[in-house]
Order: sequence, then C-alpha cells, then structure tokens
Amino acid sequence: MSKTSPNAAAQSRERRVWYLIAAVIVAALPLFVTDSYWRTNLIVCALNILLAIGLDFVLGYAGQLNLGQSAFYGLGAYSSTLLVLKLGLPFWAAFAIGTLMAGAAGALLSFFAVRLRGHYLAIASLGFAVIIYQILLNWISLTQGPLGIYGIAPPPTVAFPGLPQIAFGDLRNLFYLTAGFTLIVYVLLDQMVHSPIGETLTAIREDEVSAASLGIDGPKWKAFAFAVSSAAAGAAGCFYAPLVGTLVPDAFFVSESFMILAMVIVGGMGTLVGPVFGAVLLTILPEFLRSLGDMRLIIYGASVTLAVLFMPGGIVEAFHLLRHRLFPEGEMR
Amino acid sequence: MSSIVLQQAINGIVVGSLYVLVALGLTLIYGVLVQINFAHADIVTLGAFAAYGVTHLLSGNYLAGIAAALGLGAALGWLINAGIFVPLRERGSELLPLIATIGVSIMLQNAMLALLGPIPYAFDTPYSNQVIRLGTLFLTVQNVLIILVSGVSIALLYGFMKFTFLGKALRAVSQDRETAGLMGINPGHLIMLTFVIASALAGLSGAMLGPVLVLTPFAGTSVIVKAFAIVIIGGFGNVEGTILAGLLVGLIESYTTQFLDPGLIDIVVFALLLLTLAVRPTGLIAERREENV
Amino acid sequence: MNPAAPKQADPPTPLLEAHRLCKNFGGVRAVQDISLTISAGTVFAIIGPNGAGKSTLLNLLSGVYQPDAGEIRFAGLDLVGLPAHRRVRHGLARTFQKIRLFKQLSVLENVLAGYHTRHSIPPLQYLLHGAAFRADARRCRAGALDLLEFVGLAHRAAVPAGSLAYGEQRLLEIARALATSPRLLMVDEPAAGLNGAEVAALLRRIANLRERGVTIVLVEHNMDLVMTLADRILVMDYGERLFEGAPGEVQAHPEVIAAYLGAEAL
Ligand SMILES: Nc1ncnc2c1ncn2[C@@H]1O[C@H](COP(=O)(O)OP(=O)(O)OP(=O)(O)O)[C@@H](O)[C@H]1O
Ligand SMILES: [Mg+2]
Repeated sequence: MSKTSPNAAAQSRERRVWYLIAAVIVAALPLFVTDSYWRTNLIVCALNILLAIGLDFVLGYAGQLNLGQSAFYGLGAYSSTLLVLKLGLPFWAAFAIGTLMAGAAGALLSFFAVRLRGHYLAIASLGFAVIIYQILLNWISLTQGPLGIYGIAPPPTVAFPGLPQIAFGDLRNLFYLTAGFTLIVYVLLDQMVHSPIGETLTAIREDEVSAASLGIDGPKWKAFAFAVSSAAAGAAGCFYAPLVGTLVPDAFFVSESFMILAMVIVGGMGTLVGPVFGAVLLTILPEFLRSLGDMRLIIYGASVTLAVLFMPGGIVEAFHLLRHRLFPEGEMR
Repeated sequence: MSSIVLQQAINGIVVGSLYVLVALGLTLIYGVLVQINFAHADIVTLGAFAAYGVTHLLSGNYLAGIAAALGLGAALGWLINAGIFVPLRERGSELLPLIATIGVSIMLQNAMLALLGPIPYAFDTPYSNQVIRLGTLFLTVQNVLIILVSGVSIALLYGFMKFTFLGKALRAVSQDRETAGLMGINPGHLIMLTFVIASALAGLSGAMLGPVLVLTPFAGTSVIVKAFAIVIIGGFGNVEGTILAGLLVGLIESYTTQFLDPGLIDIVVFALLLLTLAVRPTGLIAERREENV
Repeated sequence: MNPAAPKQADPPTPLLEAHRLCKNFGGVRAVQDISLTISAGTVFAIIGPNGAGKSTLLNLLSGVYQPDAGEIRFAGLDLVGLPAHRRVRHGLARTFQKIRLFKQLSVLENVLAGYHTRHSIPPLQYLLHGAAFRADARRCRAGALDLLEFVGLAHRAAVPAGSLAYGEQRLLEIARALATSPRLLMVDEPAAGLNGAEVAALLRRIANLRERGVTIVLVEHNMDLVMTLADRILVMDYGERLFEGAPGEVQAHPEVIAAYLGAEAL
C-alpha cells in the first residue's frame, strides 16, 4: 500500500523516525515501570511481540498459517537451556544454536508441505506442535518431562571496560536485552517487508500460480518465510528460559500457538505494527481480567472470530476507520 | 502373544472406526469446500456431553443420547456454516475460515471448561459393562456397538455419495462449482447439506466415544488432531483414503500402546503424517488434480 | 539443398519449438500431438473453438502443466521438467485467460512484482536499505510506470488492481508480464471483454511489441485481431492440429471455415 505513494524516500525516512520513537519508548519504559511484577510483564510482552511479528511475517505476508509457533518457542527454550546445562556451552552460543535449530526445523517442516495448499502446512505445523509437546513430556532423561527443569540462570553478566557491569539477573537489564533484541528483529522484518521480498511474499499470498508466472519460486519463498517465523519463535524461547527460570512442557502446549495467532489477528495481520498492538493488548489485558478466569479465553476466542468476520485488519484497521471518521478530509494513506 | 496381537487389533479397529467417523466429516467438507472447520472437534465433544446428559436424564437410554448428539451436531454444523463459512466465502481466502473456526473452538472449549470443569465424567452406558468373550479375546457390547454404528454410517454415507442424485451432485460441486449449477442444484444448499451431514457425524462420534475415552471438554481436541493426520494421510477430500487411514491410525495407536509406550502415539502418528507428505503428498489413495488455469 | 531452387533467405531462427506435445486430464485429451515452430520476432496465433485445448497448450509452454509426452525447446534449451518460475528467467512470460491479478495490491505493485527476477540489490541491503537498494527501487519504479504508460494505465497506478474495469485488468496483466522483460510473450485471449476502441489500441500495442523484438504467442477468438497481427496461425480442434499456415491460407481453408470460422469469415 505504501509503495504507491509518490515519495518512497520520504516514507523510508518516516520509517526510520518510527524506529527511533520505538527505541526511545523501550529506553524509557523501565523508568516508569519500576516494580518487578510489571517489569516481568513487560519482558513477557517483548517476547510475545517477537512471537507475533514472526508469525505475522509468514501469515500476513506469505499467507501461510504456522500453528507450530508453540513448538518452535519450546524448541528454542529447551535446546538453548540444555546446551548450557548438559554441554556447558556459553549462553550466547546456545542462543544462536537454539534460534537456528528452530529456524531449520521450520524450514524442514515447510519443505514437506509447501507444495500443497496452505491448509496442509497449517495442519502439518499443528501436528509438529503436538509432537514436540509430547517429546518434551516423554523424553524424561533429557527434559525431565512434566517435572521440568529448574533454576535456569540468567544470561551471563556483560562487562565492557570502563563501564559498569550489566547483570541480567536485574529485570531492567533483562528487559533492555529482550526488548532491544525484539526491536532489532522488528526493524529487520520491517525493512524486508518494504523491500522486493515483501512484494514477492504478498504476490505468493495473493496468487501463487500468477506469482510463478513472474518467476517467483513459491515453495522456496514460503519455506524462507516459515524459517524466519520459526527462528523468531526460537529466539523468544531462548530468552524465555532465563526469564522464568523454569521450563515445563505445558508452557509450550498447542494452545500457546493459538494465543499468538490471536495476537496477530486481533492486532491486524499483514502489517507489522498490528501484531505489536495485539501482543501488548493480549499480554497486559489479562492482568486486569484475572478475576474472569476461564472467561478470559472465551473472550480471546470470540475476538479472533469477530475480528476475522468484521474487522479483518484488526486494531490497525479500526484505527484507520476511526481516523477517517474523525478527520474525513485528512490525507489518504 | 498372538492373542494380545488379536486383542489389540480389535481395540485398534474400535478406536480407528471412531476416528474414521470424525475424519470423514472433515474430509467431506474439504472435498466440497476446500475448507477446514477447526471447531469440528468441539462438535464431537458437545455431542459426547449431549449424549451423556440425555442418557442420564432418561435413566440409561443411550439410544436417545445418540439421537440427541446427532441432532446437536447437525444444528451446530448449520450454525457454523451460516455464521462463518457463508459470510467469508466471497472473500475467497483459504485461511480466514480456518482461523475464524479456531476462534470458535477456543470459545466453545473454554465455555465447556467453565461450565463442566476439567474433571473427567464417567459415562457408562448400559452396554459398557457387558462383555462378550471369544476364546481368550473379549470386547464390550459398547465396542461392538461402536464398530456397528461406525460401519453402518460409513456404508450409508458411501452409498449416498456413490448412488444417489444428491450424492453425485455433492461430488460434482467438489469437482467444479459450475457443473453443479448446471445440474440445477444450488451449490449453497449442497454446501449446507454437507456441513449438516459432516457435523451430525461428528456429534454421533462424540456419543460413541464418550463412553470409551476420557470425557472432558478436551475430548474432541485430542481426537481431532489425529483426525487431521488421518485426513492428510488418506488424501484430503478422499473418502476411501480416509477410511483406510483411520483404521490404520487406530491400529498403530493400539499397538504403540501395547508394545511401545502410550506417550509415543502422537509422535508415531505424526511421523507417519510427515512421511506421507514427503513421499505421497496427495495421500495414500492419490488423486492428482491439476488446478484449471 | 536443390541447387536449382531459387536462393532463399535463411529461414528465421526458431525461438520456440514444440514436438508432439500431449496432455490428458482424466479422459479428456486436451492437447494431442501438437508440434509447432515459432520464429523469433513474429506473432504466432492459436485459434480454435471453445475447449479446443488452446489454453492447455499455453499452460504446457509456460510450465503451469508438464506434458504427458513431447518436447519443448526454447532458444535451444529443453524446457520439459522445468517449473514455470524457472522458465521466466529464460525469457518466457504470459497472461491468463481467467484474470489472475494480485487483486488487493495496487496496479503499480502488480507490475513491480513482475520485476522479481530483475532486481540488483546486495543481500544485506534487504535488511538495511542503502543506496543500492534505493537506486534499484527507483529504477524498477520508473520502469513499471513506463510499462503502465505503455498500456495506458499510468493514471490508475495507485488504485487496487481488483477495482479496475475488466478491460483494464487485461492490460495490467500484459504490463505485469512485460515487467519480466520477456523474449516471448504469450497472451491468452487479451481482447476478451474489450470494446472496439480498446481492441484497436491493443492491436497497436502488440504490433509495437513485435517491433521491439518481442515474439508473441496470441490465443484469441477475435478474428480481426488475429488476421491483422498474425504471421502464422495454428488452428486447433479437439486438442488436435487442424491446420497451420499464414492468415490468407487459413481464411481460404475449407475445413477451418467449416469447423471454426463459419459464416463469420465469409
Ligand atoms: N486442469 C484441468 N483439469 C481438467 N480438465 C481440464 C483442465 N484444463 C483444461 N481441461 C479440459 O481440457 C479441454 C481443453 O481446455 P482449454 O482450456 O485448453 O480449451 P481452450 O481452447 O482454451 O478453450 P476456450 O476457448 O474456452 O478458452 C477442455 O475440455 C477442458 O475442460
Ligand atoms: Mg482458453
């Protein structure tokens, strides 16, 4: 949509201003949010944003449904933790391997199903989520099954000469780490979707036969998008483990995939900001709805269905509609 | 040893025929509409609870319970088609209806959880405890009933698709909307019929499996995941393939439970699914169709 | 070969050759034993009644379907087995009879998608846009606007493709296909749904493309268009080749008149 505006250079400048604003918000948040309960929530928010923009990259742009985010999340969390615990690898090496492993698993999975209609990939990834959950639960010698892994240490302290040490046991620093990483991923994805890669993925989403007639290798690009999406989930998992300190398989049950899907749908798929709003809303809102118990999930389910039916662009579309109402003769985007 | 093998074969066929019932509904809808109703699982669960409730209210009249499940399933199918698939049809998206029904599924499941709680219900029918012995083998009358009901429904459905005008029209729609229009049949009505039949089957299978599986609000979900695997292994939209794959998965499940570990069932089933996608992507009974461009 | 024969100019180099192509759908023999040779720089038309197999033949040439039997060579390269997207890089492009635009994308974005194989951006600049990225974007955008100008849609660049009138959508399909910079452009019924003035404009544009050296395969029911533009015409019926020749020969051929042209041509 943005490509058609007369001045692409101005838009690219505008994007950079938004990146800067986002960076300022990230930097400022811990100044206002000081108690550890809400700081933890902020970190969870950052991880959920990472999961949601990852899913949106494959769903909103390439038009492929990845229901395996919970599994890739779990894969990242367990593999990085086990690499540190069992092989004694440094955290950042384990982080890189965990992220790459999740990405590779995603690419492999999509390799099986991308030649077929999108439904196959959705179901195959759902199946993958079930398998991984069962493996985490049953491979007790490795994962300790339902008992879980306890006492996972935070990422190692970083020390730059001449500067104070940065310890990630401190929630503020852990927030800067996770939110900073999420922001970087956001920027990279945003640059990609506003490049010919974005054009290619949306072409596949709109009509794969037609895309092929323009030289686009559908299966290859779908696998690419799928791999990016699962790698983002893997990275989120690598951060999840030291944040919570504990890993149990139930954290990566299939329903987690549905939660991430809800964030993308409610926020608005096909834009990267949408899922950010969706993730923040669906992470923070439940904190205020605790009293509702299971009703909370009923509301999520309903909001997914209603959004698809009546507001397929989610919060972002609602926002645009509202702006049109308020400023009818304002500039068109 | 061999009697264990045989006993597990019987168990496998019992479970497998239930899976076939669930999967057939999915495959019917896919065949006609090329869409997935994710809430199919919850129709199964609701069917199970409806059967449970009615059976208990009528002090053990299981047949009335089955009828209630059938009716509830049909009604839900109608509702889901009218409320979700019809409005989304003109948007022509492959995934939106799937996503919308995932929402419905989350809603229904958690509504059931809120109302009925997570603790399994003991659903005993008058037939649960009557045991038939065949030498060293034994099976309950409930199991026999499951095989019979599934077998008869599958046969009826098969006959309907193959030999009646409506059934042929259904297959025509699945091949090509316009042809069906030419046969003088409104495709919209046919799609509705498909939903009602498929969902009634789901309700029915709920009533049948309630007594043999663990009856909680998640009962349908655990079955549907296997049903999806079956539908892909059998070839989406392919009735014969679905029946074959359903029985296969049932057998794999009972042998895995016996000789390996129950925890491995899902892993084995999905390994089979991935293998199918890798080797025969269009399913066991391949039916290669090229999109008419 | 015969020294007595008058010296002829070298035969024009064949750009595309197909030999005994066959394609069945279930029991339907959509294309049967079709052979053809298309010379570079010419307009090769394929005509025939509905269901004759014209679109299927185009789908075989463009790689949407693979043939059950037969050979296809493009500039000496064996195309059989090559998927559609790989053929594009060798210079084949096409439009679709049932229009397949990216409906939700803008007109300009549709054409830009056609530049997929022609970007020159260092991989890292996809992640962080730099000077080379912007230069590429400017080049593709300018090229796409030129193409829209060529088909007369420049004023519609910003609207969603789905909101164009039917005739405009057909033109946009051509512009999008041209964005791949093809040596051979295959158009499937480009004049369907166009009014008289639009057909005249289409005719000029196709003639213009031929002048620029693009070889054209034209599947069309509009006989005026075919007879004016085509250098050679293949007539198909029931998947088979009924006749092949120059426009004059086709118009004179009794079987063709009976099977297809009918009263209209007389
Ligand atoms: N993907 C397909 N699956 C099954 N049958 C097909 C397919 N594509 C084409 N056919 C059949 O092959 C035959 C030839 O079709 P084709 O579309 O090539 O004809 P055509 O000459 O382009 O006709 P028209 O002038 O109507 O466009 C028809 O009988 C058609 O029904
Ligand atoms: Mg045609």
